[in-house]
Amino acid sequence: MTEYSAFRHLTIGQYLPYGSVVHRLDPRFKILMLCLLMAAVAFATSYTASLILLIALLSIIHMSRVPVGYALQGLRPALPWIAIFAALQLIFYKGQYGPEPCSVVWSWGFISVTTCSLRLIALMVFRLLEFMLLISLLTLTTSTTELTHGLERLLSPLKRLRFPAHELAMVFTIALRFAPTLAGELERIMKAQASRGADFGEQGRLGFIRRTRNLLPLLVPLFLSALRRAEDLTLAMEARGYTGGRGRTSFIQLKALPSDYLALALVCVFCAIILVGNLESIDRQVFTAVSDCVRNVFGFVRR
Amino acid sequence: MTPVLQVEELHHTYLRGTPFETVSLRGVNMEVHQGEIVSIIGPTGSGKSTLIQHLNGLIRPQEGNVFVLGQDLRDPDLDVKGLRRQVGMIFQTPEQQLFEQYVGDDIAFGPRNYGLDRTEVRQRVKKAMGMVGLGFEEFKDRLTFSLSGGEMRKVAIAGVLALEPRILVFDEPTCGLDPETSSEFLTKIKELRDEEEATIILVSHDMESVAQLADRIYVLLQGQSILEGTSRQLFSQAGLLRSYGLDAPQVGQVMHGLRHRGIKVRVDLLSVSEAEEEIGRCFDLSQRQAETGA
Repeated sequence: MTEYSAFRHLTIGQYLPYGSVVHRLDPRFKILMLCLLMAAVAFATSYTASLILLIALLSIIHMSRVPVGYALQGLRPALPWIAIFAALQLIFYKGQYGPEPCSVVWSWGFISVTTCSLRLIALMVFRLLEFMLLISLLTLTTSTTELTHGLERLLSPLKRLRFPAHELAMVFTIALRFAPTLAGELERIMKAQASRGADFGEQGRLGFIRRTRNLLPLLVPLFLSALRRAEDLTLAMEARGYTGGRGRTSFIQLKALPSDYLALALVCVFCAIILVGNLESIDRQVFTAVSDCVRNVFGFVRR
Repeated sequence: MTPVLQVEELHHTYLRGTPFETVSLRGVNMEVHQGEIVSIIGPTGSGKSTLIQHLNGLIRPQEGNVFVLGQDLRDPDLDVKGLRRQVGMIFQTPEQQLFEQYVGDDIAFGPRNYGLDRTEVRQRVKKAMGMVGLGFEEFKDRLTFSLSGGEMRKVAIAGVLALEPRILVFDEPTCGLDPETSSEFLTKIKELRDEEEATIILVSHDMESVAQLADRIYVLLQGQSILEGTSRQLFSQAGLLRSYGLDAPQVGQVMHGLRHRGIKVRVDLLSVSEAEEEIGRCFDLSQRQAETGA
């Protein structure tokens, strides 16, 4: 039954060991590339740039041999939220956005939809999808060990400033490591409570309050077991002589290969084009072309 | 007589259609009659948990059929909540599902979910607590999380019993308990069948308790039901069981050992007292033979 295994369908955070080119890249470089691409996504203000980014991401996913459909599946839980954000922006956004002056498309009372808000929403949806694809791309192709080692090494120059790089990486590992465990635990508790006649939105939605109260039988046992696990983990770590990052050596020695530098260089160039290139003008050209075309067709029909 | 529970050629694959696909069940057949204690045994990963989750509709059959108390589990319009009231499910370490502050409230969670009225709920809580051996007055207002492990497990079991189910499924009920509490639990389970006329399905790794309780046993291996029989039939085949990675109860192993040494004892014994009698009989016999020989 899908209702209880829903948590396991969260694609974000599930490593798929396919051993592709993307998998084999140095995790430090992958994290750097992720940051660069994130910046590109965040600052892409044209349709053309967004489209190019989306296509680029999908082709990287394809290269990593992760089924594209599978990566997209992970986006499903976020869709309702994106829809809500989009609706709110559509109704309430009144500022200026994009190069052209805004014109009101439709208004009713204090609600008004402008060309600017439409543009904002289209770009925002693109952006959110690309963000999530990026993050899942990283976690789908990088094991948590690699990821944390990469992160720790990237942050290690900050150690001189007494920045707790190792501790941060450790917290990160533990959080990632236990996410599926807790999901499994939650599923188990849900099943146990459902066996006692609890329903979790199975029979209609009988009001928010009741649904919130229904969470109590899940949250209390879940927290208890999480605390118990945390305690066990602490003891287990201390029993094996863990005292934090100082003087700790690592089994995994990261070594950058020429291919890593090449990939990073490619990503840099790509991001530079997205950020610096005047892609908005392409937008405008496409727009005028399309609107001309539409006008011609309409004109033709009218004639 | 039609069985209360029927499983036919059941197949199940977890996370079907994803890269994490794992086949759990590949052809399970099972039949349980009213008032039976049926045990399911099998090594870890043989699909026992997946199988029992089908019995109250936590998992729906992907392939094959499951009928419980005349209801078809494949029917999408099935009243699952109603079914769960009739099929009580007690998972491994059930004390981890407790959440209410007071013992009484936790046990009342089930009956309240079914909208029973206050007096009915109270009565059921009282009865359920009696069945697991917790005094109603003494325990109902105790703090749930101040109880001992064994008591918490009793509370959790009472929470399921309060629904007065007709079929009870126990997944490793004695796992992690000390021997004394463990045998107390087994006696209680037997009482549930004898006094409440419940049908009981017991999943266990502990062959001693299975031998003590079960009328019939199903053996699962790699998602298939490969053997079925009464406890006596099954446990007398210690060699066969061992080839599947399972053991007969220790009593059976001792008897097999004696037999192997040429002492003609019966091997289909299940309890210590039976073994005592059998060994005594052989001993007497050999003594008598020695006397007549002399």
